[in-house]
This record gives sequence, structure tokens and C-alpha cells, in this order.
Amino acid sequence: MDDHGRGFDPDLDEGSIVARAQDGDLAAFEHLVVTYQDRLFRLAYRMLNDRGEAEDTVQESLIASWRGLPMLADVNAFDGWLYRLATNKCLDVLRKRSSHAENITDPDNVCSLTEAGAIRAPAGSDPAHEAEWSAQQAGLILVLNTLPPVQRACWLLREMHGLTYADIGATLKISPAGVRGMLARARHQITEGMSQWR
Amino acid sequence: MALGDIPRLGCGRSIDRIWATIDQPPTAHEQQCEQCQTARARLSGLNEATRSLRESDLRNPSLKAHPGVTNAIMDIARAEIRRSKRIRLHSTVNGTTEISEQALSSIIRFAATAVPGIHSRRCRIEVRSTADNLSATDNLSATDNLSATDNPSENTGTTASTGPHLIVNLRVAAATGIDIPRTVDALRHQIRNAIPAGVGITAGTINITVEDLYDV
Amino acid sequence: MSDQPLNGKVVTSQLIASLAARTALETPGVLRLEPTITGFVARLGPAALQNLRNAGSQNGTYRHDGVAATISDGTAHVRLDIATDIAYVALNVAEAVQQRVRESISHTGLTPGPVDICILAIEPRS
Repeated sequence: MDDHGRGFDPDLDEGSIVARAQDGDLAAFEHLVVTYQDRLFRLAYRMLNDRGEAEDTVQESLIASWRGLPMLADVNAFDGWLYRLATNKCLDVLRKRSSHAENITDPDNVCSLTEAGAIRAPAGSDPAHEAEWSAQQAGLILVLNTLPPVQRACWLLREMHGLTYADIGATLKISPAGVRGMLARARHQITEGMSQWR
Repeated sequence: MALGDIPRLGCGRSIDRIWATIDQPPTAHEQQCEQCQTARARLSGLNEATRSLRESDLRNPSLKAHPGVTNAIMDIARAEIRRSKRIRLHSTVNGTTEISEQALSSIIRFAATAVPGIHSRRCRIEVRSTADNLSATDNLSATDNLSATDNPSENTGTTASTGPHLIVNLRVAAATGIDIPRTVDALRHQIRNAIPAGVGITAGTINITVEDLYDV
Repeated sequence: MSDQPLNGKVVTSQLIASLAARTALETPGVLRLEPTITGFVARLGPAALQNLRNAGSQNGTYRHDGVAATISDGTAHVRLDIATDIAYVALNVAEAVQQRVRESISHTGLTPGPVDICILAIEPRS
């Protein structure tokens, strides 16, 4: 079956694409899915360190966005809202995980994390690319995974995805000033961790 | 740790402040202070690692969702497609003919693509029952000077005046710098012609609201 | 409740549905039939099983993607959900479908009842 609203113009501004998806236009929604799925995947993978769970998170948040779109009041707030859906799903997964098993958040566990393969390049990347991974990057990923989930989310949303303090604050239910403080603490902990690791 | 707490060095400088100026040359204090120098070195290492991780994650083909994810999402969206309301066009003993609001909207959106500087957004279509038609002109929107109700005398030109009286409420984004009143008139004209040509009924009332501007 | 004879065969709601679908698809300006939520649910739910078991019964409704047919006391009632080509006037296409479907029903020996049409999408032909 073909999608509705063919003749869809991908040069539209995002607000107009979101508005059409709100009206049930599948082609417009598909455009949003394609635009955001990899960004959300990178966030979810760095939060969860598990491909399957990250893909589930991407899928669930985009489906939740399809269902919730008609209620979104401001079309220009779509990206922040979608990141909010995805971040909260990641935090839910981690909460469930920690209630099932012991959660590794202790910086002293850095070595065991290395052994557990957290530093490994994701499966499927070619050796040449793997070689590009600098020691610094590896250390960063390692220490990042020792941060408490909310702090890690805060750091990823800001540094990897460029969200505003206001959007991050709305996601994590803290004030923009609280976001600033959390980021400073995250950076402090990361630099401490990275210096210990070396 | 309280939420607002920002870690400080022994010299009293906050980590946040050093981070904010990491790309600038060190201040006089920072050149003197050993703690600041250590912190600067570490933070610029983090800055470097952050940038390189961001770039390599973007390039990394294995950090993309499986192609099947798009299909899985679209399958569910399709199965749950929001079928909009249906508008009755025609009814005889031989059967009724209806059109979905979505199908009507697509005619309207298609017409809007002919007007430069306009991106159509949400489109709501209502039907006024024949009994209400007499008072159609009373429905001028008082609050929004960009929306206007057309003179119904225009309606009786091209096609036989069949079908329901439609009230089209279209929201659009306009390109920055265009002549909005003129563009909205052109848009209304396009829609007024496109509905009879595409659907076979008269256009009724066309309300257009410019809700946003987009950059070109 | 007796079967309707047609050249020694039985005219079922399924036959009427497929006849109506084919007639609609042959009408200029019709792009396709549109599956609806009802159709989707019917495919998955108990109604789908009911349809499979009861495909040949009279006085029942047969539903498939975009088409439903009911035979009641020798009269066939059809519902069609269609997508039309933007190059055609949708209302004219719908009326042509209605007329043609009624005509093809009359060839089965049944009385053509109402043919209800809903235009669910209007698109350019790709």
C-alpha cells in the first residue's frame, strides 16, 4: 500500500512536517522517523549499551510519538518532546535493570567494565575504524558508564545531541539551573575518572 | 549533593567557569594557579574526547538503528492510522458518497503547493448544514485579521452548487519576507478553484491562519 | 433461507464483494481500494474467522480490505473505500463506480441495493 499524501515535499520546514503528521499524514511521519531514528538510537545505545534494547527504545518512543502527536501543542517543540520520550524510556529500562540485578555505578568497577567489554567498538564496525578510536574516547565511554543514569542522560543530551538546558530540564524534571549544576558535576566526575583511568 | 551544587576547586573557581572559557587563553589567575591549570588540562582533554566521540558516533555505521526499525514503526503507524471524519457529499437511494477529511485536505495541500512562500500545516474541515447556509456570511472571524470568510456570491461560478457547505480551516507557515495578505489571497483563490476541480463540490468558506514563519 | 441460483452456482456475499472490488478498480480514476481499521481488525479478529467459515453464506456480510458486501433478501448492499486519482473529479469517479457496480450486480440476478462509497484518499498517480 502506498502512503497517504504523496507529493510530499521533503524541503518543508520541520514544523510543517510535524503538523501534517499530526493530521495523520503517514509520509510526513515517515520522514520524521527517518530523521530521528538514528539520533535516538545513538542516545539509547550510549544509555543502555545494548543494541536490542536500544532499538526497542527507538521503536517504542517513535510509536508513542505517533500516538501522542495530535496532542502536541507546539509543532516546533517536537524534537525536545521526542528526546523526552526516548530518554524516559531509557531511564525506565535502567530502573528495571537495576531492580533485577546489581547496577554498576561505582568508579572502582572501571576495570571489570573493561573486561565486560564496555569499551569494545560496537559489533560490526571494521577494524580500521576501531583503530581510530582514541584512548581518550575509550576512557570517556568507560567513565560515562559509571555515571548515575540521570546524570549520564543529562550529559549525553547536552554534549552529544545539543539540546537546550530548557529541553533537558523538562525531560529530567529539573530547572535549567539544575541542569547546569548536573552538567558541571558530570564533567567533574568524568575528568576525575579519566585521570584515574590513565 | 544538592542539585544546584557546582564543584569548585580549592582556589574557589568553579569547574563550570573554567569549562565555559576552555577555548579561550587562560586568565591571569589560571596561569598562576596550579589547581586551575590541572583542571584546565583535564577539561580540555574532556572537550577533545567529547568532540571526537560525537563525531565518530555520527560516522559509525554500527551506531544506526537496524533498517527494519523504520518498517516496524511504519507498519504499526499504518495499522493505527487515524482515519479522519467523513463528510457526506451526496446521497440517493442508489447509495451515499462520502469523502474523508484527509482526502479533502490533500486536495487543499496540493493546491497550496502552487503558491510560493506557503507551507500548509494542519487542516480541519467542518460542514455547515444547509439550514445554516443563509447565515454563512455572519461567521467572520473577528479575532484574527489573517483569516477571512469569502463572499458566498463568488461560490456560484464554476460548478453547480452541490454538496455540503464546507468550512475549511487551514493553518500555514509563511516564508519570511513575503507579502502575507497578497499571498493569503492567492492561496484562497487556489483552494477555491481546486475543490470544485478535484472533488466536484463548491468550496464554501475558507479560513486561513498564518501561524508561523519559516526561513528561506 | 435458500441459495440464490446463478448458472448453477451460488451467489455469495464474497462473490459480490470481489465483483464490486474488480469493477471499482476498472473504473477510470480509481487508484486502489483502501483498507480501513475495520478491515484490519476483521483480518485479525474473530470476525475474520467467521468470514472464512461463512464465506459462502447468504444474509451475511463479507468484508475484505476496502470492500464489504451484504446480501439480504435477494438485494446486495455494497460499501467501498477508495483512493482516487487527483487528475479526476472525485465525486464523478465515485458516481461512475456506483453506477458500474450496480450494473454488474444486476447481472448476477440479485437486485442492486445501495452502493455506498467513501473516498479515503486523493493522490497523484505515480
